[in-house]
Amino acid sequence: MPDTAILEIRNATKRFGGVTALNGCSLSVAAGKISGLIGPNGSGKTTLFNCITGLERLHGGQILFKGRRIDGLKPHRIARRGISRTFQVTRVFPQLTAFENLLAVTGTAFDAAHERADELLAFVKLDRLRDEFAGNLSYGQQKLLEFIRVLMTDPELILLDEPAAGVNRTLLNELLDVLTRLRDQGKTILIVEHDMKVVMGLCETIFVLDYGEKIAEGPPSLIQGNERVIEAYFGR
Amino acid sequence: MPSLAKVVLPTGILMAALAVLPMFSSGYHVSFTIQVFMWIALAGSWNIISGLTGYVSFGHVAFFGVGAYTSALLITKAGWHWLPAGLAGCGPAALLALLIGYPCLRLKGPYFAIAMLGLNEVVRALVSYFEGLTGGGSGISLPPINATVPVYYAMGATALAVVVTTYLIINSRFGLRLISIREDEIAAETMGIDTARMKLYAFLISAAFPGIVGGFYAWYASHIEPMGVFPLITTITMIIMCLFGGAGTVLGPVIGATLLSIMQELVWARFLFVHQAIFGALIIGVVLLMPRGILGVARQYFRLPRTV
Repeated sequence: MPDTAILEIRNATKRFGGVTALNGCSLSVAAGKISGLIGPNGSGKTTLFNCITGLERLHGGQILFKGRRIDGLKPHRIARRGISRTFQVTRVFPQLTAFENLLAVTGTAFDAAHERADELLAFVKLDRLRDEFAGNLSYGQQKLLEFIRVLMTDPELILLDEPAAGVNRTLLNELLDVLTRLRDQGKTILIVEHDMKVVMGLCETIFVLDYGEKIAEGPPSLIQGNERVIEAYFGR
Repeated sequence: MPSLAKVVLPTGILMAALAVLPMFSSGYHVSFTIQVFMWIALAGSWNIISGLTGYVSFGHVAFFGVGAYTSALLITKAGWHWLPAGLAGCGPAALLALLIGYPCLRLKGPYFAIAMLGLNEVVRALVSYFEGLTGGGSGISLPPINATVPVYYAMGATALAVVVTTYLIINSRFGLRLISIREDEIAAETMGIDTARMKLYAFLISAAFPGIVGGFYAWYASHIEPMGVFPLITTITMIIMCLFGGAGTVLGPVIGATLLSIMQELVWARFLFVHQAIFGALIIGVVLLMPRGILGVARQYFRLPRTV
């Protein structure tokens, strides 16, 4: 295999009461690439993200990051191993300023952290709003802030839950640019996204979930014509 | 940075005035100011866990009571001087916080508040039960004190220590992490913040100071008993003072404790029988009209740094 897997999901199973959100889901994410995770509503995408980041515990199966098991670890431990994520609905710290949102999450020396935070704010053009409370920012700005907060921890694997939702076209194109650049720097990115244009244009590999199982995997061109995928989205 | 003349000078004058107050004023003013110091320290301590992390402690008086009993026992049974005995109150208070905080800080929202409420009742019941050591329901009598001025300075120093500690915390990354827990604990945890540990540290600091305050209080009051040092109303007063001034700020508890102590004194003197009703109405007013406290309201009109 030419690609080394940075993240491996093996037979992940997760139930909520009678609902099986993940049903023996297995997939492996190649290091240094942008991969997409798609599927109809309720297919288990966000649950999978929650399991990877430790917010939910698996009922069965394993999750390996760089060859070591991370399922069962506390979320902050997983984060410190090098996985960071954004949320479908942004989760910034409203009563901290944009700048403080970034500072709170790093462990690096104070001066270096200040410098990095300012750099990142300038990078997404939020430097003007540096000392504004995050709760006062617009939704799109909060999404950007949440995104650079992820970068603040310098993760190896970045999980993005619908980064394009609620972000205007211009901003979105810049964001996609940034993702490509991060990939070129060696980061691995896994994206949940409903905007097919974004997914098809950006991702090298796409995983398709339906009812908590992986039903297809491959490059965008193959996924688009895949019958099981079309069926999952539009019904038979 | 705040300018020297604007901040340091008035603070210095205020501190100097408070330092020389006992030399120029009556015993009433000294004992009233001791009360204010006590409330500043208590409300400020509560602020460190509840104002910053959002974990509302409804049993904070337990740490005060444990400190009071620790110092009373050290003074009466071990013959300690009141000053080290009072300071020693922080030990058992922090230990208790460790024991109860470790399991209970996992509880979210109202469940933590209720668990803490239970803690206070348990500690009070235990203190009453071990009669041989604690004197049971009749409590412990300490030697009468002949000078309140040393207690004035000790309590004042404790209040100052709480304010300075809060200032240092809020200006540190530790403080940012505590606030991030209040703002969104799941996001904080997911971003690599060890929320359980941060909360526990904050809780220990927040419990240690009431232990010291209780320790000095035991000496000052000359007599302590379970109903007197574990009353729920003390916790509630801490909370109200903190909310009134502005939770999660440095000076909020100071402002809240000072104003409410003065108000309570005025109301109590004039309306002996209905003062609790008036105080209660005040609480409702505060919660309804300015849930973010005086500093919260001030912040809407002026650009105040968080470090106020």
